Amino acid sequence: MYVTMSVSLLFIYACGDLFDIHPYDVNFHGETDINAKQITRIENEFADKDTLRVAFISDTHGWYSDTKDEILDLNNRRDIDFVIHCGDLTDTGTAMEYEWIRDILGDLHVPYVGLIGNHDFLGTGDQAYMKMYGSMDFSFIAGRIKFVCLNTNATEYDYIAAVPNFDYMETEMEMDRERFDRTILVMHAPPYSDQFNNNVCKAFRRYLDFFPGLICCVYGHNHNDLVDDIYDDGLLFYGIDCAKHRRYRIFTFTPDGYEMEQISF
Amino acid sequence: MADDSIIVQQNHESKYERRVYRYRKRWANMIPTQFVIQNAGNMGIASMGFGWNYGNRKQWETDCMIGYIPRHQTSRGKLTMTVKENYIPWSLTLYKGYSIEPLTASIYLNTVYGHEFWKTQPGRYPDKYYEFMSTKFRLNIALGQRFTRQIPLEKRKGCKSISLFYEISTCDLYIRSKIMDHDVPLKDIIGLSLGIKLQTL
Repeated sequence: MYVTMSVSLLFIYACGDLFDIHPYDVNFHGETDINAKQITRIENEFADKDTLRVAFISDTHGWYSDTKDEILDLNNRRDIDFVIHCGDLTDTGTAMEYEWIRDILGDLHVPYVGLIGNHDFLGTGDQAYMKMYGSMDFSFIAGRIKFVCLNTNATEYDYIAAVPNFDYMETEMEMDRERFDRTILVMHAPPYSDQFNNNVCKAFRRYLDFFPGLICCVYGHNHNDLVDDIYDDGLLFYGIDCAKHRRYRIFTFTPDGYEMEQISF
Repeated sequence: MADDSIIVQQNHESKYERRVYRYRKRWANMIPTQFVIQNAGNMGIASMGFGWNYGNRKQWETDCMIGYIPRHQTSRGKLTMTVKENYIPWSLTLYKGYSIEPLTASIYLNTVYGHEFWKTQPGRYPDKYYEFMSTKFRLNIALGQRFTRQIPLEKRKGCKSISLFYEISTCDLYIRSKIMDHDVPLKDIIGLSLGIKLQTL
């Protein structure tokens, strides 16, 4: 009996968080509303910085060891200003996965923001994202560049939602106009992908022209590192590879232009 | 009646009576033999339901349960339903009226209600997009132990025994995470559940 009881106690001790209510219960302990806090940090530190070094990572879903190595690699570089995660933080949108990836990304020495990817919508994942990260469309300004981060996962809404949100894009073109000269568009799913509302691909492209000094677009989703002139008109779309492939990109923005490095780790 | 008459009593049941007997017996088998209430276990904050035990040594149990997931940080609370199969290989009598079941092994299917969950991927997705999963159905496994008190006949009112049990469980999505990346901490994917079972029949 003593053996049984001690085995029981060992089991109970091993449970950690003890009671699992449901994978989709969304009852976060620890940090929430991450993007707003991190954006405050970014805007305070880099609003008028001349040269920006920004790392773009993406599609970490389920590959925690690879993501840890990615974070380690980023931390070993002393010259990164901040990191943007292009979505698919989780694989199945469970609250547990959100906490796992938050704790890993939280080890970054620099600020970071995270976009929502299509996998992050599964179950109550979209609600979990909004609690843990915040709005699905958001923007911030660093180095007089506005980073406009858009939710482009239209398939998740069966195309009935305003995704991409043109009203939001219109607002962002003008808002804080005096604080930025150039713009970068960041999204999870690129135009013509299985998540984008492909009926509006061309309209989307027309809207991009209204963003002041549009530099380029950056996206995740496809798990490859293509650099594509999707619309064949000179606007470059940079694909960010997944954590599993152990690749990401660093952009260096200077007043004259930008440079892109493909990193393998 | 004449003196030499013989009274013939029909002792065997009629075909009809036998049929009614079998009919009643079959339906009687469907009367639940037990009521269960337990917390957590990926079925909600608490679940309750009824079930049946069967087998030579009553080593098998099937439970049907309804659970509730509080709203927490989502838009609303959710109901879940579970069908649970338990296997209890041994029962050891400690002393009179008290026994312990050193192992219970369970497998259960849980479904959660709400428009945000689907059984298989809806038609809006390309073929085999999220084919690996259902957001609505969760297959869970659990191991546990029980402590049972037999209620003496003279004191018996509502039920004949009461069991306290605990289970350690995990679900398919968590096992999948662990297989995809061994770095996933075991302590995060297993959870404890505590419960009571009332044996009524």
